[in-house]
Amino acid sequence: MNDLTFSGWSGVTILLVYALLMLGVGVWSYLSDKKSGTNMQETMSGYYLAGKNLGFVALFFTLYATQYSGNTVVGYAASGYRMGYAWWMSVPYMIIIIGGYLLFAPRLYALAKRHDFLTPTDWLEHRFNSKAVSLLATVFMVWGLGNYLLEQLVAIGQGVQGLTAGTIPYQVAVIFFVIVMVIYEWLGGMKAVAFTDVIQGISLLVGLTAMLVGGFVLTGGHFGEVASFIATNAPEKIAVPPMKVNNQWFSMLILVGIGAAVYPHAIQRIYSAESERTLKKSLSRMAWMPLVTTGVVFAIGIISIQIFPGLDKMGSEQLVGLFANKVAGLGGFYYFMMLLLFGGIVAAVVSTADSVLLSLQSMVSKDIYGRYINPSAPDTKKIKVGKIVGLIVVAFLIYIAWNPPGTLFEIFVLKFEILIQIAPAFMLGLYWDRLSKWPVFIGMLSGGALAGIMTWTGHKTIAGWYGGVFGLVLNITICVIGSYLVSMSAEEQMKNQKTSAL
Amino acid sequence: MRKVKEPIKKPWIWIVMIAILVLGVPWYFPDSAVNPIILGFPLWAFVSVIMTVVLSWYLSYLCMHEWNIVEDEEEGQNGEVQ
Repeated sequence: MNDLTFSGWSGVTILLVYALLMLGVGVWSYLSDKKSGTNMQETMSGYYLAGKNLGFVALFFTLYATQYSGNTVVGYAASGYRMGYAWWMSVPYMIIIIGGYLLFAPRLYALAKRHDFLTPTDWLEHRFNSKAVSLLATVFMVWGLGNYLLEQLVAIGQGVQGLTAGTIPYQVAVIFFVIVMVIYEWLGGMKAVAFTDVIQGISLLVGLTAMLVGGFVLTGGHFGEVASFIATNAPEKIAVPPMKVNNQWFSMLILVGIGAAVYPHAIQRIYSAESERTLKKSLSRMAWMPLVTTGVVFAIGIISIQIFPGLDKMGSEQLVGLFANKVAGLGGFYYFMMLLLFGGIVAAVVSTADSVLLSLQSMVSKDIYGRYINPSAPDTKKIKVGKIVGLIVVAFLIYIAWNPPGTLFEIFVLKFEILIQIAPAFMLGLYWDRLSKWPVFIGMLSGGALAGIMTWTGHKTIAGWYGGVFGLVLNITICVIGSYLVSMSAEEQMKNQKTSAL
Repeated sequence: MRKVKEPIKKPWIWIVMIAILVLGVPWYFPDSAVNPIILGFPLWAFVSVIMTVVLSWYLSYLCMHEWNIVEDEEEGQNGEVQ
């Protein structure tokens, strides 16, 4: 993304406008809270879950903008280019996340309202009443989220540097957007995050529409001719995928479908819904969004096979930049639309990063400080500790991003593989009274270890199946067999039933 | 008052969902299934696109019609009559 015809100061301007909008939302959240006298920012549930009162528009966009990051555009277009039509898999695997939600969200929502859950660990604590399970799950989530945040910070730097053709250097971009993000988040908590997500989500949608229009113009609207071109010049990209790719396709459906639904920030959005009706309405609309998000990005990747033939792996990573450059070259209107696209990409990264950071802070406030260090502290103090630790974590991640350690860097790569290991405790725990704490603990630990070892030893997939899936299967097996082996009194089982009963 | 509905309680929901997913993965096509090209998609991918749209519709339907746990209670509190 380094040689854009429209880069430079126009890029800087759109980012500044965007940053001002975000800050404006933060100030608005703060002032409206003060004015209404609800003091939302002073209670844990007010600050971290917007008072569990998010309406349809805010909830829908916060689900959307959090789920899709800048990588969904930049990285996925490159994958589509390299893989060809088989990359269509990115559309169903984003859709099936809603299926993942349906496995547990209906009951969890009701329980969360009744028992006033704030973090994912609150449910685990409520169900298993085990320090070991709560602590391990918290460690996994903080670790996974930290790595996820690191990835977003790097993406902000690269995206902005690319957009402005280096006018804003990588480091300045990261620091600038982190400051903006932290200010609006400190001012308004989840309310500010959700309402900036509305702006960020709309920017992303506008950008994608601009991209699609650009693609349509560049190909003259002849998508069929693109297919014929690929069939002649790159037949492997249009051929029926081999078994290995199909296995990968299906394992992504499982991994993303279950994994993305149990992301801590995804779970906290379930808690934040104003009502069941709002939540299900938002999720039902979300089921269509991948078609207009990853579906559009897939189309750009495919079209680019004809427009930019012969790019290598590094070259294909620059695809969105090349594409935008070509579209911008069509004239003033397109130039402006491509600017919006890049604003949208940066917005998408920031909107994911802010949600991850807030979720991380909430776990520090509630699950670590509030549970083990100073349970009797007032909410304002817990929130303050969360904010400050969050800032320290961000500073550490920025340091890592600039000085990647030579060894053990893989520690910072594990995300999904680790986060998905809390899924059995969540999903089985909701419906199966026999599930007991030790098998859950050992299952989670073993699943995480297996997935971690596979990734570290360079066996990210075996025959197309991901390490995270193997870890998950091991985890579930231990949970189920272990729970049958552990004896459980009728009284205990009855107690479990009560904790998850509607 | 409407009945309480929870998706996990109905096995058919999950059987149909898995069927849609499995049919959407192109493992059952012969190598010749590239042609015809329909709307810019090879045949196998076109079938996958159709299954993807079905999946969106199905999940969207399930959210709105097979999930009803505390809604009546909540909407009642809000003073809305359904």
